[in-house]
Amino acid sequence: MTTRLIVNGIDKTFGDFQALSDVSFTIEPGQFVTLLGPSGCGKTTLLRVIAGFLEPEKGEILFGDKVMNDVPPNKRNTAMCFQSYALFPHKTVYENIIFGLRMRKVSADEQRKRVKEVMEMVDLVGLENRKPYELSGGQQQRVALARAIIVRPEILLFDEPLSNLDAKLREKVRVDIRNIQHSLGITTVYVTHDQAEALAISDVVIAMNKGRIVQKSDPKTIYNRPSTKFVADFIGSANITPGTCTEFAGSTAVVDSLYGVLRVQAADLTPGEEAFLCIRPEDFVPIFAENAPHAVNVVTGSVLHAVYMGNSLDLFVKVNDHVVRISAAKDCPIPEGSQISFTVQPDKICVMKG
Amino acid sequence: MMKRRKFEWGYLLLIPGIGYIVFFVIASLYIMVAQSFGFYNYTGSSEFSLTFWQNVFTRTFFDDLWFSFRTALLTALVSIVICYPLSLLMQKIPGRKTFLSILKIPMFVPALVASFLIVNIIDYHGIINIVLVKLGFIEEPLRLRNDPAGIGALVVQIWKNVPFQMIIMYSAIEAVRKDVKDAAANLGANRFAILKEIILPITLPSALVAVIMVFIRTFNDFAISKTAGPYYPTSISNLMYLHAYTFGDWNTSACIGVMMMVTSIVFVSFYTYISKKIAD
Repeated sequence: MTTRLIVNGIDKTFGDFQALSDVSFTIEPGQFVTLLGPSGCGKTTLLRVIAGFLEPEKGEILFGDKVMNDVPPNKRNTAMCFQSYALFPHKTVYENIIFGLRMRKVSADEQRKRVKEVMEMVDLVGLENRKPYELSGGQQQRVALARAIIVRPEILLFDEPLSNLDAKLREKVRVDIRNIQHSLGITTVYVTHDQAEALAISDVVIAMNKGRIVQKSDPKTIYNRPSTKFVADFIGSANITPGTCTEFAGSTAVVDSLYGVLRVQAADLTPGEEAFLCIRPEDFVPIFAENAPHAVNVVTGSVLHAVYMGNSLDLFVKVNDHVVRISAAKDCPIPEGSQISFTVQPDKICVMKG
Repeated sequence: MMKRRKFEWGYLLLIPGIGYIVFFVIASLYIMVAQSFGFYNYTGSSEFSLTFWQNVFTRTFFDDLWFSFRTALLTALVSIVICYPLSLLMQKIPGRKTFLSILKIPMFVPALVASFLIVNIIDYHGIINIVLVKLGFIEEPLRLRNDPAGIGALVVQIWKNVPFQMIIMYSAIEAVRKDVKDAAANLGANRFAILKEIILPITLPSALVAVIMVFIRTFNDFAISKTAGPYYPTSISNLMYLHAYTFGDWNTSACIGVMMMVTSIVFVSFYTYISKKIAD
C-alpha cells in the first residue's frame, strides 16, 4: 500500500517559539523524501505532526485525499523509526517485531508468516529471543526497522535513525534502508541533519531552516543549484562570494566578485544586479602549464594550508584577503606557501539571489 | 611464583559508613540470636538453653504473628492498588507538584501522631460515627478504633504508606521513556494497551519493591497497632515489647525478634522468586 502525503500550510508553536511556519509540500506515492536541516529547524517537529504526536495550530495533513488532523497516532497507519530506536526493553526481538501486528489484531498465521519474512529481510534470524540490551546498535536499528515495516504502513517515518551508529555501519544501514524501502515501495519521510546521508538516500531532499522549507529538489539539484546561501552553505562545502553583474550577453554574465571577475553561464542577471555566487571546492581546478592556455575564470592566490583528506587534498588559498577552499587531487604537488592559479568553468558557478 | 595480593588501603575509607552498619546491625543480630538461646540473660544464668524457644510458640504468638502478617500484606497490597492509578493520574494533571507535596504529608507525620489523628476520626465519638449517626445510617456508633478485626490500624497504615509508595511509583512511571510509549501508539496501541503492554511491565519491578518495603515497615510496626489496633490479637512487635518490658523476659522477646526476621526474610525471598518468575 502506498500513499500520497500532502502537508498543507502547517503552523506549530511551542509557547513563543514558532517551530513550523506555513510548511507545505507533497510527497508522491513510494517516494523517499528527506527533511534536512540544522538542529532546531523543525524537521523532527514536522515528522511528529505527520505521525500525530503533535497537533498543528494551522494547516492539514492528508494521506491521499483523507484529512488526518483528527486521527489519533494509533489509527494513522504510519510507522516510525526513532532516533533512540525506542525498542520495548522488556520484550524480546520477536515480541518487539510482532507488537504492531498484535495491536492490529492480525491472525496468528499471518503474524508468523510476516515475522519470518521481515526477519529474513533485515537479517535478524536467530536473534528472536534476545532482549534489546543484548543487541548491538546496528541490530537494534534493524529490529526498529523490522517492527516498522511489518505493519505495512501507508507512510514510513524515520527520525535520524542512524545518528547513534558509527560511520561505517551508518553507510551500510542506509543502503539497507533504501533497498528495503525501494522493494516495498512505501512512501517514506526521513529526517536527518547529515547532508551526505540525505543526498545518498533520497529521491527528494527538503531543506529546512527556522521552521520553513527553503528548497525542495532532487539531490543533484539541491547540491549543484542551491537556491539560497543557507542551502549552499549547509549542504556540502561551498565558496560563497557576493558579486555584481557588470555585463550580460547571450547566456553568460560577467560578475565582479571577491575572487575577481568571473564569467557565469545561464544566469538570469541584469547589469548592475547584485547576487551571491556559490562554487563547490571540487569545481575549482588548479592550473598547471598544460591546461593554462584554455583556462577561463582564472583566480590566483597563495596556499595557506594543504590538508590531506585521504581521497583529496584540500587547499585553503588566500585570494584578495579571502580564503577559498579547493579540493584538488590527493597527489597534487602543491606545498603550503606556494602561489597557485586555479579555474572554474562558468556552468559550475551557481547564482543565488537571496 | 604467585603474586601476593596487595592490600587496598582505600577500603579503610569505607569504615565510617560500612563499619557503623556492620557493627550495629551484625552485633545486635548476634546478641538477639544468642539471647534467644539463653545467652546474655539479664535476670538469670547465661547458658545455652532451648527453653525460651519451647515457650514462644503459643496460641498468642501465632495469633499476633498472623495479625501482623495480615495487616502488613493487606496494607502493602491495598496501598499499591490506591497509589498506582494515583501515580498514573499525577503524570498528567496540571499543578501536580502541589498535589504531590500535599499527598506526601502523611509520610512526614510521625506514626504515633498519625495514629492519634486517625483515632480521633474513627473513635467511638469520632467524626465518622457522629456523621453516620446524625444521618441515620446507624443507630449507635460503631467500634472502629481498637476493633477486633484491626480495620482501624489498617486504615492508619494505608494512610501512612500510600505516599511512601507514591514516591517510588510516581518516579518509576515518570521514568518510562516517552519515545517508547510513542512507538507503541504509533504501532497501533491505544491508551489501555500502552498501559497494559508497556507501562505496567516496565514499572512492575518498582511496584514489587514498593510492596516489599511497605510490608516490612508495617510488619515491624509498633506504634500504630498499639494505639489504633485491637487489644487482642496485637502486633508481633507489641508481643515482643510485652515480654521484654512487662514480663522482663528478654530471652523470649529475642525469640520473637528472630521469628519476625525469619518471617520477613521468607516473605521477601518468596516475593522475589515470584517476581522473577513474572519478569521472565
